[in-house]
Amino acid sequence: MFHKLRQRLLSWEGFLLAALLVIIVFNSSMSPAYLRIGNWINLFELSIEKIIVALAMTFIIINAEIDLSVASVMGLAAGVLAWLHQAGVPFPLAIILALASGAVSGAFNGFWISFVGIPSLVVTLATLIMFRGGARILMEDQSISGFPDWFNALGQQSLVGPIPFGLILFLLLVVIVIVVLQYSGFGRHIYVIGNSSDVARYSGIKVRRIKMVLFTMSGFVAALAGVLFAARLGAVRGDSALGFELDIITMVLLGGVSIFGGSGSIYGVLLSILIVLNLRNGMSLVNLTGHLQTGVIGLLLILSVLLPNVANYLRERLDRRRFAQ
Amino acid sequence: MTKPIFQMEHISKRFGATQALADVSFELYPGEVHALIGENGAGKSTLIKIMTGIYQPDQGDISLDGQPIRVNNAQDAQTRGIAAIFQEPMVFPDLNVAENIFINHRDFGPVVKWGKMYAEAEDILAELDILLDVRQPARGLTLAAQQAVEIAKAISLDVRILIMDEPTASLSLHEVAQLFKLVQRLREQGVSILFIGHRLEEVFEISDRITVLRDGKWVSTMPRSEVTTEGIIRDMVGREVGTFFEKTSVPSDDLLISTRNLSKEGAFSGISFDLHRGEVLGFAGLVGSRRTDVGLALFGIDPADSGQIIFQGEEQKIQSPEQAMSAGIAYMSEDRRQLGLSMPMSIATNITLPTLKKYLTSWGLVKRQAEDKTAEKFRESLTIRTPSIETLVEDLSGGNQQKVMLSKWLNANPKLLILDEPTRGVDVGAKADVHRLVDELAASGLAIIVISSDLPEVLAMSDRILVMREGRQMGILTREEANQETVMNAAMGQAAQTVREE
Amino acid sequence: MNNLKKSIRPGQLREFVLVFLILLMMFLFSTQIENYFSPRFFNRISTSVAIIAVVAIGQTLVVLTRNIDLSVGSIVGFSAYFVGQQLVQDNGLSPATVVLMAVALGALMGGINGLLVSFGGVPSIIVTLGTLAIYRTILVEISNAETVLTANLPEWLLDLPRSNIFSIGDLDFRLMVGVALLAVVVFALILRYTSYGRRLYAIGSNPEAAKNAGFPSRTIVFTAFILSGALAGLAGFMFLARFGNITVVAGLGIELESVAAVVVGGINTNGGTGTIPGALLGAILINILEQSLIRWLSISEFWRDFLLGFLILLAVAADSVIMSRIRNLWAQNGAHSKLGRTGTEGKDTHVS
Repeated sequence: MFHKLRQRLLSWEGFLLAALLVIIVFNSSMSPAYLRIGNWINLFELSIEKIIVALAMTFIIINAEIDLSVASVMGLAAGVLAWLHQAGVPFPLAIILALASGAVSGAFNGFWISFVGIPSLVVTLATLIMFRGGARILMEDQSISGFPDWFNALGQQSLVGPIPFGLILFLLLVVIVIVVLQYSGFGRHIYVIGNSSDVARYSGIKVRRIKMVLFTMSGFVAALAGVLFAARLGAVRGDSALGFELDIITMVLLGGVSIFGGSGSIYGVLLSILIVLNLRNGMSLVNLTGHLQTGVIGLLLILSVLLPNVANYLRERLDRRRFAQ
Repeated sequence: MTKPIFQMEHISKRFGATQALADVSFELYPGEVHALIGENGAGKSTLIKIMTGIYQPDQGDISLDGQPIRVNNAQDAQTRGIAAIFQEPMVFPDLNVAENIFINHRDFGPVVKWGKMYAEAEDILAELDILLDVRQPARGLTLAAQQAVEIAKAISLDVRILIMDEPTASLSLHEVAQLFKLVQRLREQGVSILFIGHRLEEVFEISDRITVLRDGKWVSTMPRSEVTTEGIIRDMVGREVGTFFEKTSVPSDDLLISTRNLSKEGAFSGISFDLHRGEVLGFAGLVGSRRTDVGLALFGIDPADSGQIIFQGEEQKIQSPEQAMSAGIAYMSEDRRQLGLSMPMSIATNITLPTLKKYLTSWGLVKRQAEDKTAEKFRESLTIRTPSIETLVEDLSGGNQQKVMLSKWLNANPKLLILDEPTRGVDVGAKADVHRLVDELAASGLAIIVISSDLPEVLAMSDRILVMREGRQMGILTREEANQETVMNAAMGQAAQTVREE
Repeated sequence: MNNLKKSIRPGQLREFVLVFLILLMMFLFSTQIENYFSPRFFNRISTSVAIIAVVAIGQTLVVLTRNIDLSVGSIVGFSAYFVGQQLVQDNGLSPATVVLMAVALGALMGGINGLLVSFGGVPSIIVTLGTLAIYRTILVEISNAETVLTANLPEWLLDLPRSNIFSIGDLDFRLMVGVALLAVVVFALILRYTSYGRRLYAIGSNPEAAKNAGFPSRTIVFTAFILSGALAGLAGFMFLARFGNITVVAGLGIELESVAAVVVGGINTNGGTGTIPGALLGAILINILEQSLIRWLSISEFWRDFLLGFLILLAVAADSVIMSRIRNLWAQNGAHSKLGRTGTEGKDTHVS
């Protein structure tokens, strides 16, 4: 059974890898510019906020929870930043407060989930509306721009060689996530809770505290992404980052993380991030518009679960027939 | 003898590399109680699932009333009058008792006539002498009551063959007696019953014939009058096993923990006992007597709200499992699957779960080598049968899972170990291992609380027995005072005067 | 007290609490807003409740089986736009054809969801999160960014939102509200009095047991999604009638509102409990909140979402805390059987 599971995991990641290679080959045949390093960096840059939040979402989903409010937290944090800036607060302080607003929002989610015991799907659905409302209260219907040059440069120009700040941040987070999830005691606890929070509680693990930490972290990371979004676009509106949660959750689930928690690896998620990014790039190369891309991502999400199921079903039928003979 | 109602001939079933059943044949006669026994993994469950249409056999024939049949799915089995009742009843908690009885019916009809349904449900329950309010939701019914509902459901379906898969595993003696009365009544009505059980006393009490399976193969089928305990166990295990457990450990007079008037609103009250190092204290009582709640309070999962816990001379307020663990209290749950073990994770991971801190570097990373060493140590000392410590716990047999769970808590070096139903769903061989191990642990100075519905087990293992009834402590019996009768009397609230109050 | 307990089930108590909450809220708003109880306000709320309620009924069926349908917003938008487009091309289509078209379209999209969930084994949250995007994308693609305009729609459709079944003074009882109420009654009866309805509860109550039970649980879940889609299609038609101008973003966010209505209305997201009247009350509560907050001049419209989200959270929290207490009380006192009960949190038994 262990080997079977391992094989399946391996084969899912193998499947993702194969899919990625196909997309890369296709894209490079469509455009010679595709394989240039500049294009790859650009491809990451275009979705940098989403892929950063996807890393945090991986923790949440492995823990058998979900956070639908991340895009709203991104919008809220960006809103806090812009509003404070407009109100004349020194910019570095505004950034700190924006990040803090994200952590507080996440902790707010965590409180209802861990201590009141409401399902995270319901809590974050409500706070999705609520935090977006918060962003709208701050921004009303205006667009705020005119951030300091250094801030805009952080989002729009490269920092080290050709690599921009956002990508460096992402790579740094990837290393941290790999270490925490695969090698640390905290990561172990996240998997155990994802498999069964009762077993964890009966083993003396502080389930509530860990969930609280995770949601606070999710909020903080979302805020970080929101601030980055403000820097990259140079402007913030009340509906900044609206609807990003779909893409983010898709990236995680496509990566083989079970929606029921307890299984999945960060490597699968990294592969699925690469697939989503390159697929979008490829679709742009063949002139498929932005909205069609969203549809394809949705389709991908369903297929990512449907295909292994169908494969299993066929295998079982084949087995049965073989033994019947 | 009459003709068999149901026959299975040369049935084989394979799952991947495992041959779950190999050339198994047996038959059921009308109105007989046929016991099917064997260790875990002997193929009993597979056999039942084939009978009820959940699995299809790879080879072999099934016939009903002498006619060959195929049971394609659960509905098919139902139409043919074959029904099964499982250890964990499959009730729908949000529906009421009457609905649960009728929900499966083909002639349930597109429109529910509530009045008629309630009346018919009441009739069926009355016929079976079951006292239940048909309007009450199934949520919150005891396991025994849920089983009664399932039996009523089967009866209402005009069942001819009733399969009972370890129906007594979670029942108290009193409830088992009630269940057996029901079985008796069904037999009189001509229903054939296939009874799967782990407790041999019960199997002997209820069955007409006994079939033993081992490793997916048929071993023997004999009338009850011709079997002996030793013979059956030999058939099951394939070797001689000492059936009698001899307790060797002797309690010290070094007091470890006392409780005084420990109470929790809505669960239990007035629990007072002393427990010494090296002593085994049994907790006996019917299901619903709240023994487990006391265990959970001592472990801090559901803390008590009044009364004292004095641990090593100091009063302790235990509010969380963490506090309990740091004081030296461990609690092994009765429910391996839901509460005890993380099934899809490895043996090693499970063993170090409560004590993971000991295996972390200062950066919080897991020291895999140290972890593996611990797991290997327990694998050897507790004889956990597994290809590797990386094997997933869900792939182990019940007995080996139980040993992993024991390892997990022994590794925490507790001073007080609370074992809740330590041998539930465990086969004979592993059960003996667990009993011996508990005795060794007590001999090494551990204080142990054993909560068990298996009365012979409690009597054999304990130095003293605390009897509970509906959340109240009925008394504590010494080893000399305790026997089946005195414990049951106390548990049923009778003759409290014969029980010495502590 | 005991008689009261016998005659009132926890579910009903929950509905009384909701009615009380609605009345309390209306009272509070009436002290803040001048001329709060105006007929115009009533008419506006009743129309918007009607649309959400129809969607929420379908959502209830799905949530009862321990699933969720997040695609309903896209289905509403799709069918509103598609039907609108057909009407623009042919003003002569009969009302019955049009309604049927909307319902069938919705049923088809719901059927796809159901197929993937029941027979494809894909969790409903994944399926409907996916189709939420896919259905919307198809809509955007076929629309060529054109808008259905009121001016191009037939008269009867434009008159529909203002046509009444009856009115009392200025209080109009609109046809669309009637349709919604009819749907509520029909589905409430289905849930209470048909084996189909009871089996929806059974499936959500214990999916494992349902799998091996003597009824086709997969088909039942499948049909729940079809019905949810069909009702969303109907709501799409109502949406078209109400607004007239339909863009490709029509119905965006209705999935959130319907889930909110269902959750506030006491339908457990773990399946098995909840009623259609509860969902209706949930829809009413949320709509009154929304509309009242807009009218409450002392706060800006930007505060609306913020407060709405927070109040939904409070409603659910109050529910989970208070209702679990009440249920426990009810269960404890309900013990009058020889076989007995474990009480509420009986740790001696663990039934999964």
